[in-house]
Amino acid sequence: MTTVSRLALAMIGLVGVLGVATYSAEAQMNMMKQIEHRQEVMKGNGGAMKVLTPIVRGEAPWNQAAAVQAATTLANTAKEINALFPQGTGPEAGKTDALPAIWQNWADFQAKGQVFNEATTKLLQLAQANDEAGFKAQFPNVGKSCGGCHEGYRVKKQ
Amino acid sequence: MAGAVDSPRPLFRRFVVVAQALAFSAPLALLRKTPRLQLSGFALALLGVGLLVGPAAAQTPDATRRGGYIFDLAGCAGCHTDVKNKGPLAAGGRELKTPFGAFYGPNITPDPQYGLGRWKEADFVRAMRHGIRPDGNRYFPVFPYTSFAKMSDEDLHDLWGYLRSLPPVAKPSRRHDIGFPFRLRFLQIGWQWLNFSTGAFKVDPAKSPEWNRGAYVVQALGHCGECHTPRNIAGATRPSLYLAGTRDGPEGSKVPNITPDPETGIGKWSPGDLADLFKSGMTPDGDFVGATMAEVVRNSTSKMTDADLKAMIAYLRAVPPFRNDIRAVAK
Repeated sequence: MTTVSRLALAMIGLVGVLGVATYSAEAQMNMMKQIEHRQEVMKGNGGAMKVLTPIVRGEAPWNQAAAVQAATTLANTAKEINALFPQGTGPEAGKTDALPAIWQNWADFQAKGQVFNEATTKLLQLAQANDEAGFKAQFPNVGKSCGGCHEGYRVKKQ
Repeated sequence: MAGAVDSPRPLFRRFVVVAQALAFSAPLALLRKTPRLQLSGFALALLGVGLLVGPAAAQTPDATRRGGYIFDLAGCAGCHTDVKNKGPLAAGGRELKTPFGAFYGPNITPDPQYGLGRWKEADFVRAMRHGIRPDGNRYFPVFPYTSFAKMSDEDLHDLWGYLRSLPPVAKPSRRHDIGFPFRLRFLQIGWQWLNFSTGAFKVDPAKSPEWNRGAYVVQALGHCGECHTPRNIAGATRPSLYLAGTRDGPEGSKVPNITPDPETGIGKWSPGDLADLFKSGMTPDGDFVGATMAEVVRNSTSKMTDADLKAMIAYLRAVPPFRNDIRAVAK
């Protein structure tokens, strides 16, 4: 091998190493961004539940527009719930309460996401149909579907 | 934030517990051999209780149903059922991680080999009220007998009846996975001597019946303080910080302050907020509790009668407020 080709090979190697390093740093950044995004979406869910609670409790009058809006937030999240948890966005990537159990029991996690999806879709339909009684009856099922994942897949450490 | 609640480092804690254990185990081991009279008197007393209770142990369906309610409120299923692996009710196997090691709830079905099948009611009462196993060894306080000791005679009797009515499951209990020296059961004699005194719940006549019922549900059945009250270096709950929350909860979680402090506790929660939490697990910010509290909601609080729920809420809102922000210091 000539000196030149050796040099070229070394250069290629160096570029490769740098590339991988940059790539993984970038991946790490992306993972953290994913976690932050997820936390924002979850806060949005909390906000929606907060709007609906006084209505369901009867402390605030029935408000179809507010019900539709909040239920839409929930239903939209539910549709992408699994996508919010890509592989590698557990505690290894940054500060998160999401447990590794999510990815160890992915099929179960997906099934629970499906329950959340169905519960919120139904809630939205009832809001759109202006079915106050049905909406109030469905609300606890949505809550249960939230708790369904929080129990086994989240531990508050922060 | 309250500096008083800072927990010492685990290593230091270990050291103190070992020192404490050594200091107390030796004289106690001697004590155990000498007062034969006292022991046999105790045995006689137990026999007496056994004879008294024995014939009356026939359960009415009503008593069994009441016992089932006690089983729910005391959250027995939480530790004694392996829900994660779809294990049968009360057959044990659930893992509970603590700073001292991993504990596995034992089988409490009436199976004669692996469960409580050969127990007498007096054995059960002694376990619950005194934290003593039928073989005379002490339980680790991870079994919250420290709270159950406050249960009324009637509730213990009904709960026993309910446990007897469960289908027996022939499944061996799993050994606890605890580090040395905590696994030495005889050390628990010293622990009990230092940290535990038994006695059923005493009604406070100065307070309303509702407050008293709430106090009983929280202290004796719900054993809320076992997680929500910080523990000292020996793993005993600290009465002065009753329900003030801790950063060293089970499964490595943070356990919130549930005293009515407006900034760091539940002072700003309305009775309706608390009712929602106990029925569905929802908090005032629209979040749903997870981990062990989700289990408590599922097994216990969501099954409470409205009267008990109201009593518990009234009591919790009247607990002395304590300022302790468990989120203030990153661990």
